[in-house]
Amino acid sequence: MDALNRIEKLIARARGERPPSIDVADRVLWRIRVATASPAPVPIAPWGVLAGLSAVAASIILFLAINAWMALSNPMMELYRPVMVASLW
Amino acid sequence: MLGGIDLAAGREYNRPVEEQDRLDIQASCDGDQEAFRRLVERHQQQVAGLLWRFTRDRNTLEELAQEVFVQAYFSLPSFRHEGSFAGWLSRIATRVGYRFWKKQARSNVEYAIQEADLIEQPEAIEDIDPAAAGKVVHWLLDQLREADRLVLTLMYFEGQSTEQIAQRMGWNRAMVKMRAYRARKKLRDLAERQGLREKLGWMR
Repeated sequence: MDALNRIEKLIARARGERPPSIDVADRVLWRIRVATASPAPVPIAPWGVLAGLSAVAASIILFLAINAWMALSNPMMELYRPVMVASLW
Repeated sequence: MLGGIDLAAGREYNRPVEEQDRLDIQASCDGDQEAFRRLVERHQQQVAGLLWRFTRDRNTLEELAQEVFVQAYFSLPSFRHEGSFAGWLSRIATRVGYRFWKKQARSNVEYAIQEADLIEQPEAIEDIDPAAAGKVVHWLLDQLREADRLVLTLMYFEGQSTEQIAQRMGWNRAMVKMRAYRARKKLRDLAERQGLREKLGWMR
């Protein structure tokens, strides 16, 4: 009888081995619950207040900026003005 | 047997189980996790039986079994009731076990067999302790490459034909046949190198 025959006999015997008893049901269900749980909702109230305040501040800055823009004049104008009023001929 | 090998013989006997499985699968797909619990409880021992061929460590066995059922849960909608649920689970378990082997760092160093000494010389082969035999066989197969080991494990322990192995793993049948042939040869060479013939020389 060669070695392989002996091994095959051992294998035939090993087929009768009983595996350890396991009970994984609880852990399986726990893992499934974790995997399927929707992520906790992010509280939006503080973020909403912050966003509102930012919007108000931005509006004020925008209002001031537009007025300042409208009041702007060409800084070179003071140089040109005498020339513009002088009669050239 | 898990894997659907002897289902033809056991179909009548298993019909109530298959019917319960069908109902529980349907309920699980509808979100009833208690139904899935029943499926786990009904099949976990069969899955353990198969995975025990992939690891001899009890903690690893439980982790792999969990992985099998979690994967099964998320694949349930794709389960078609053409074969048995047990057979479908065994395919998942085989792939999980195979991936586990592939992840393990495999040493190329062949170490001397000591497990053969675990077997006390009985008067007949029937007197060998199956657990001791299982340990020796596990050690021997552990010396082979993962794919070779898988083919022999499914052939010897699950009684799978090369065609069934090819189907289960999505491999080419000719490749499985070739691999089985080579794996058996490697196993014989290994056993000869380790003097297993002498160690088990009492076998008749």
